Amino acid sequence: MGRWAKQIEMQCKIPAIGIASSNIVHYATGYNFKYNNGMPIRYVSVPFPFTGQPRVVDVGYVTGKDMLTGQPLMTAVINALTNPLTAEEKISGAPPEEAVEPRFLPPDSEENLRVMFDDKEWTDFNSIILPTEKRVTAMLKGTSHKPDEVIKTINITGGARQLTVEKVAINAVMAGASPEHFPVILALATQAPFGNSTSSMANMVVISGPIRNRLKFNCGTNAMGPYNRSNAVVGRAFTLMSKTAGDLRNDVNAWETLGNTMQYNNMCYGENEEGLPEGWDPLHVQMGFKPTDNVLTVGTGWSSIASVGASQSIYPTHFLMRDYMSSFCASGSAATIVMDPTVAGLLKDTHGFSTKAQLSEWFSQNITKTAASYWGNGVIQSTAVPFALQGLEPYASWRKLPDDALIKPFTNAKAIHVVVAGGKVQTMWFVTDFGIRRGVLIDDWA
Amino acid sequence: MDRRKMLRFLGVSPALFTGFPAGAEKTRAGVSPANGNGDGAITVMNPAIAGKLATRVPLVPPLDSLQDKTIYMINLSWEGPDAANYFYGAMTEWLDKHYSGVKTIVKVTAEGMFGSDPAILKEIIANKADAAIVGVAG
Repeated sequence: MGRWAKQIEMQCKIPAIGIASSNIVHYATGYNFKYNNGMPIRYVSVPFPFTGQPRVVDVGYVTGKDMLTGQPLMTAVINALTNPLTAEEKISGAPPEEAVEPRFLPPDSEENLRVMFDDKEWTDFNSIILPTEKRVTAMLKGTSHKPDEVIKTINITGGARQLTVEKVAINAVMAGASPEHFPVILALATQAPFGNSTSSMANMVVISGPIRNRLKFNCGTNAMGPYNRSNAVVGRAFTLMSKTAGDLRNDVNAWETLGNTMQYNNMCYGENEEGLPEGWDPLHVQMGFKPTDNVLTVGTGWSSIASVGASQSIYPTHFLMRDYMSSFCASGSAATIVMDPTVAGLLKDTHGFSTKAQLSEWFSQNITKTAASYWGNGVIQSTAVPFALQGLEPYASWRKLPDDALIKPFTNAKAIHVVVAGGKVQTMWFVTDFGIRRGVLIDDWA
Repeated sequence: MDRRKMLRFLGVSPALFTGFPAGAEKTRAGVSPANGNGDGAITVMNPAIAGKLATRVPLVPPLDSLQDKTIYMINLSWEGPDAANYFYGAMTEWLDKHYSGVKTIVKVTAEGMFGSDPAILKEIIANKADAAIVGVAG
């Protein structure tokens, strides 16, 4: 919103007001102003929540109070448009430089340093390995890349922070990783930071290729559980580097209302490629990589629903997956199904899905939900309504449907991914609404 | 049924019920608890990255009054367009009642709150609008 107001002021040369709830104004006038926007936008504030309220409530806000000044809201609007500018509102040009972060922190006791790392929110509030120079130097031996190489500029909430190989090494040490994990963590750094949204997002990290076995990633029993070091430290490193490089701090610029416990480890696991039925390609091969390539893939979403028990012959497994997936919002048509090799075997041998792509296509054609349920989701309202208003199909037609009309919201079968993991202990699966990004070649970071 | 088999059937690890004591922590080879220098103080590397501050941009001068002005109300479709449309409708009614010379134009952005809409900006300029309200977020 601040971006819009700034655009109007700069391009149209007229005063613009942003109207938002006070929690959003707090962020907009604080962190966002300092690191991103730079213009002291004129804000007027309504109570939270604004969306999702009955019409009478939203209408009532107009004759209510401005949450920032306590004035009648319309008085605040008029004042914001007509009051003379303050000295602060006239400032232009480059700001004084932010203090450079020193490469080393002042010497202190281990206990005090741990407290400081927690106070700065550089950790996940579990114990870390303190990043001494010796440990970081050892970590850097895990790659041929120079310590000062910039992997990417992190600007998700502003600040344009340059994430270097050395900074990633510091985070890798903190997470408890070893140098052999470092190329994997560097590949992961290209995808940092993790999802950060009021809607409380989560991520998934899938490891593919021979490196799974070389580094002993767990692809079998407890692949997604806390039973394996490689899964644990790589997943945790994503959290730590996202927080430190993204400068993500609670209620400052990390504002997930519930948060998501999956952010502790980011569902890091390897695909059980050895357990794939014949004809079912590994995830990275589906993306066009060679089977011998080592690839890391990140997915982002919100939800995971388990089968809660074994597959049943009286109701085909893919039917139950379909039923559970119909509760997802289908934003971007994205879904990722993680299933035990035994489930993959059932789907191929009993139900005839000879490839993952066939199964994805079946989901795309057979998952339905009511128009009301589809449009009742806030993310869909934010992303698909604009398409509908522009006349883009199928959204424009869907928006005209009666509430109880059934639609097929997963329009793109290629956005529905299937990953096989697990130890053949139970014929179970998870369906998730995670959207999978393009994989990253780990070998490029060795 | 065998107790272990029953627990496994229920999806519970038999180990949960065997009363394993919390074992002593195993230290990983090569990782000492601290890299001390004798006086207990250690030096570690800084994971934080300095953020670049945004370039300051001043506001444009304010209006002298609202009299006979044209105000664009931009609906960003924050979690959907309906709420802001209700709000802007009520705001327009209020302005009609108290500032009858004010003209308001409501526009819903083409790409929602995340995208841009150059057509709206061009229209504001072409119509020589005097002010804009953007929202409503929350």
